[in-house]
Amino acid sequence: MKKQALILAIALGVYSTASSGGFDIGKVLEAMGQAQQKPKSDPTQPAATQPGTSQPAGNAATTTQNQPPAINLFGKTKTEDEIRIGKQVAGDLLGAAPLVKDETLQQYVNSVGRWIALQSSRPDLPWKFGVIESEDINAFAAPGGYVFLTKGLYKRLNNEAELAGVLAHEIAHVSKKHHLDLLRKSALIGMLAQSVSKEVKGDAGVQNLIGNGAEMLARGLDKEAEFEADRIGVVYAAKSGYDAWGLPTVLQEMATLNANDNRLALLYKTHPSAADRLARLGEAVGDRFDSLAAGKEFADRFYRIR
Amino acid sequence: MTRKIGVSAAAVLLMLSASLAHAVPGLALKDESLYSKPSATSSVAGKMSKGMAVDIVAKQGGWLQVKAGKSQGWVRLLSVRAGAGGSGGGLDDVAGVAGAVTQKSDPSRVVAVAGVRGLNEEDLKGAKYSAEEIARLDAYSVTRAQATAFAEKSGLKTQNVAALPKPQSSQPSGSGWGEGY
Repeated sequence: MKKQALILAIALGVYSTASSGGFDIGKVLEAMGQAQQKPKSDPTQPAATQPGTSQPAGNAATTTQNQPPAINLFGKTKTEDEIRIGKQVAGDLLGAAPLVKDETLQQYVNSVGRWIALQSSRPDLPWKFGVIESEDINAFAAPGGYVFLTKGLYKRLNNEAELAGVLAHEIAHVSKKHHLDLLRKSALIGMLAQSVSKEVKGDAGVQNLIGNGAEMLARGLDKEAEFEADRIGVVYAAKSGYDAWGLPTVLQEMATLNANDNRLALLYKTHPSAADRLARLGEAVGDRFDSLAAGKEFADRFYRIR
Repeated sequence: MTRKIGVSAAAVLLMLSASLAHAVPGLALKDESLYSKPSATSSVAGKMSKGMAVDIVAKQGGWLQVKAGKSQGWVRLLSVRAGAGGSGGGLDDVAGVAGAVTQKSDPSRVVAVAGVRGLNEEDLKGAKYSAEEIARLDAYSVTRAQATAFAEKSGLKTQNVAALPKPQSSQPSGSGWGEGY
């Protein structure tokens, strides 16, 4: 532990001198893109599985067979690059927990999610939503419009407004680029750590730079980003015509659960407690929603899974 | 078994909305008037003060009906948080309702044995990119037009809602409740 901290400290020192020399994160992420493109070696793969091809913007034109354009994480990351990163993270997460095999469920969640995303600050992203096979109680977002919730969380929801609230919180993370910011920081730190460590080599090193995409989700965001996503989430849900109290109600339910429940372990490692989130959201909302028109809850049509 | 446990906890607030027999313990997050109806324009029936233990007896929209000491009335949903204790997570005293999930025989373990992967940190670190799952994800996605049709069909109408400002508070947690800061 101590040693790790030392390496980091050294790494940061190295960066301060290296930065003037122009430090090419793009190269690194380019390599990461190649790693991600591996399935491409199989020409029979359907087009839908190819990274980048879901992007209409001339990505393909500038992309040679095995070499996607470099990603610039610093400064302004292009939207198509953000989507490529998100796809990598999403694919990693789905490798750990696949989609629930229930087409009706998945399309229902996509309909609700996409409708809310259309009221967000980034309606044009190719939003994709999924319920994943896990009894954990959690939800995830990845850059570029990828949003997931676990079956364990879904089963606790009582109506569509609660689903909307959960999705809206995750949509807010994407619209504010919270994970992209985290990646910027961690890519930097990872790269610097690598520059002083001989242990990491070759392609494995590239993977380590951004970390396994799913690992990023295990580390979580800072608490302020979570509070902000709560504030934005309730607004997105209300803007979409849903009852604004869906997300707060889910948080209330979580506050009644034992925080030591294993299924909440990762959630509480990566998020402030439900009690803190309620308190902070309460401060922000105050009496501002008193005159809000009542939104829809749709308890009756809410799709329930076994 | 797993199902039953899930439902019992999920039902807590459902029962609330059906004006239940069992109150759920909660904590007042601020000093607040207790209104006679779920509206800030109704008459004031009493008061609760920050930190007070309350019983949540019903829910309606953005309002909760609570018993605070000898008074009873309605407060905004975010003026109270469910669950007893100061740290906001676990509570032993509601074990009969929500606490069923805290039993030693953790249901997620059982499920794990049955083949469903858990989602702990190690699982995520060891995860491998799945192109097939990404393809399925793409196949389930809906277009902007489909989402708009879905909303129209169900009577979901957009409304203007102003963004919420970040609360001004000296403390990171804002309220003084909760730990870990």
